[in-house]
Amino acid sequence: MVLQQRKLGIREYVSISILMAGAKATEDTPTMLYKGVQNAAWMIPILAAGIFFIPFLLLNKTLLLYQNKDLFSVIVKLLGKYIGTCVCLLIFLISSIGISFDTRTYTNIVRTFYFPTTPTFVIYAILMAVCAYGAKKGIHHIGSVSYLIIFYFVIFFCIALMLSAQSSSIRAMFPILGPGPFKIIKDSVRGLSLFADFFLLTMIIPFIRSRKEVRKGTWISYLFITFQLSVAVLVYICLFDTSLGTIGYPFHTLIRFISLGSYLPNVEIIFFVIWILSAFIRFTVFLYINGMMFGHIFKIKDIEYLIPALAMIYLLIGSMPESSIEIAQSKLVVIAAVGPVFTIISVILWLAAVLRGEFKHAKNRNSM
Amino acid sequence: MQKTGIVCKGLLFLVVVCLLTGCWDRKELEDRSYVIGLGIDKSEHKGEIKVTMLLANPEVGSMQGGGGSTEKPREVISFDVNDFIAAKGTANAIISRKISYEFLRIIIVSEAYAKEKRFVNTIMDTQMDKEIRQNTYLAVSKENASDYFLENKPKMETRPHKYFQYMVDHGIENGMIPDSTLFRYFKTLERGTDLYLAMYTTAKKDKNPKSRTEDEYMAGEVNASGELDDTQFIGSAVFKNGVMINKLSGRETRIVNILDDTTDIKDILVDFPNPFSNKERNFAARIMKRENNKVKMNLKRNKPQIIITIPLKVEIMTNPSMVVFASEKNRRIIKQRIISELKVLNEKFFRKSQQELKGVPYPLPLYARRYFLTIQEFEKFNWGKSFLKADIIVKPEVEIIDYGKQPTKPLKVGG
Repeated sequence: MVLQQRKLGIREYVSISILMAGAKATEDTPTMLYKGVQNAAWMIPILAAGIFFIPFLLLNKTLLLYQNKDLFSVIVKLLGKYIGTCVCLLIFLISSIGISFDTRTYTNIVRTFYFPTTPTFVIYAILMAVCAYGAKKGIHHIGSVSYLIIFYFVIFFCIALMLSAQSSSIRAMFPILGPGPFKIIKDSVRGLSLFADFFLLTMIIPFIRSRKEVRKGTWISYLFITFQLSVAVLVYICLFDTSLGTIGYPFHTLIRFISLGSYLPNVEIIFFVIWILSAFIRFTVFLYINGMMFGHIFKIKDIEYLIPALAMIYLLIGSMPESSIEIAQSKLVVIAAVGPVFTIISVILWLAAVLRGEFKHAKNRNSM
Repeated sequence: MQKTGIVCKGLLFLVVVCLLTGCWDRKELEDRSYVIGLGIDKSEHKGEIKVTMLLANPEVGSMQGGGGSTEKPREVISFDVNDFIAAKGTANAIISRKISYEFLRIIIVSEAYAKEKRFVNTIMDTQMDKEIRQNTYLAVSKENASDYFLENKPKMETRPHKYFQYMVDHGIENGMIPDSTLFRYFKTLERGTDLYLAMYTTAKKDKNPKSRTEDEYMAGEVNASGELDDTQFIGSAVFKNGVMINKLSGRETRIVNILDDTTDIKDILVDFPNPFSNKERNFAARIMKRENNKVKMNLKRNKPQIIITIPLKVEIMTNPSMVVFASEKNRRIIKQRIISELKVLNEKFFRKSQQELKGVPYPLPLYARRYFLTIQEFEKFNWGKSFLKADIIVKPEVEIIDYGKQPTKPLKVGG
């Protein structure tokens, strides 16, 4: 039982957040960004990070006032029992829809590129089963596993991007402003959803050893993700140029295109293995966080037993859309909602804390 | 209790092993037939295409040191279909194994079909089938693709995948054929500002080809004799908006390959006119391109100006006039000659592309984008029209790195 009491260190925390948010670069997000602002798409992660920085900073400040409290406890404490629970429910619903469509997207990727004749439902069920098993093991196991594979993920991702450099042209990023500055700013607001995972990750704060590590880890991964997303999108733009808009999943098209010399022409399977591992981690964490949320709202203590049931529900929701086009459409709606909602909640929490004088209390407590 | 746990875990492990077969996507190597080359022709039936498949036998050549199978290395089948995706099923009426496009290396389209508007629609299907990789090469054959595969019987590389790989790789290294992947085709098509080049090939030699200098040929014009396969890869077909409109000779293709920074040409062997004497043979030289071109544009004016600087390294390989390169004057003469020759060739090519092709067959517009702030401005500039009236100046920057061994005139007997 020693393991249960041990808390997550900074390295596990950073690996979890990088795997969770960094996976965005490997699915259809770059294409969505490109469709909006064409060759200026690489600016969106940077600008969105800039916009999200202030609310996220306020949220972190507010949360760090309380030791050992997660996002939901703080929300209930600050906004009162009724409003607080409603807000929690809203967050839970958004993230539930998010995970359902995201898992379905990943299933589609696996099916279209690697297992074309296997029924979608089988792949989907296996994905959810693995994630449910992982999430049931608890956050400590997830942390260790993500620390194990984070280096492979980052290194292989870099290798894939570098291998593509030989057939890409940096000139594709011009005209530098793309469709004009106004459109870019407008799309950056929508791009806030890129950082929605960070908002959800605040749920696992109580599992992390110290407040200092939370603060440091959050900003390290925040900067890393901004950089990674931006570079990845830029590489896709340089490689695919205008045809990026027609390619559904640029990362997978890229790894099928690159080769290691003429003797190792088809190397995508190496990258696929690492990618699928990171996808498992991403949804395991996602599922675990959703389990925590559900447990919190309905006052259930042993969330391990909840997780398989939740996974089943998400599997059913995700199976509802018939084709990937429908998912892309519904995802657009979710994406448009997620960013602003989470931003507003962050700011409201901070305002509530200020109005209730929590910051002063904390100061007094510290000075005592 | 512990034992039960171990047994349970062992059983679970065994169940997991079953997943390794890939469930529904289990593939047996023995059960599959790999299409290496795909030919597309016009069909006599309306709305259909004639597909030719060149299937490789994976068994041939797979065994080291003899004892291999005596089966033929390849099979060729042609039939009329609606598209080449569903053709995989139809082909199973003839071929015993499951047809797969996973190792497809080259798609050959007959010149007649490449010139039709329908071609764009047909080739788009390659994006739909995930088995077809985007680094598959696209080539245009002079004759029907079905005849091409039948005529093409390599003497040395009997395994078709190796044959096409080496043929194409070395052609690209020499610059005689363009690096024409499907990836580039679709990229060019989407961009819609420049032209695409596909390699030009034929398996039938012309009856009485004229003899020309080393790279001025088109496929089929090289007059080679001996014990050989008649297939030739040289020159390129020009595609505008995805449809073939023209052809370029080997020399023009080389010029494009030197101008284009994204192709991986290696050393190019060429002949230069002899500046020292009109009677004697030409100089042979090796041209190497190690750095990228520099492109400067002045697009604000009514008549846009484009200045292209090409840095080249040249090695003189022969010295038919027995010139002494120790003298500064001779070195300057040959350098000037090479520069002026390259300049003339390049500018002649650009004139052809402006007047005949009405577009530039490599991604030159990418260089122009830098001069605009937004996409709207670039679209307003209208590259397609502006290029036609542009003033293009080519400045070759030649550095001769080697003049070769200094020859001495042989003594004459009794002289």
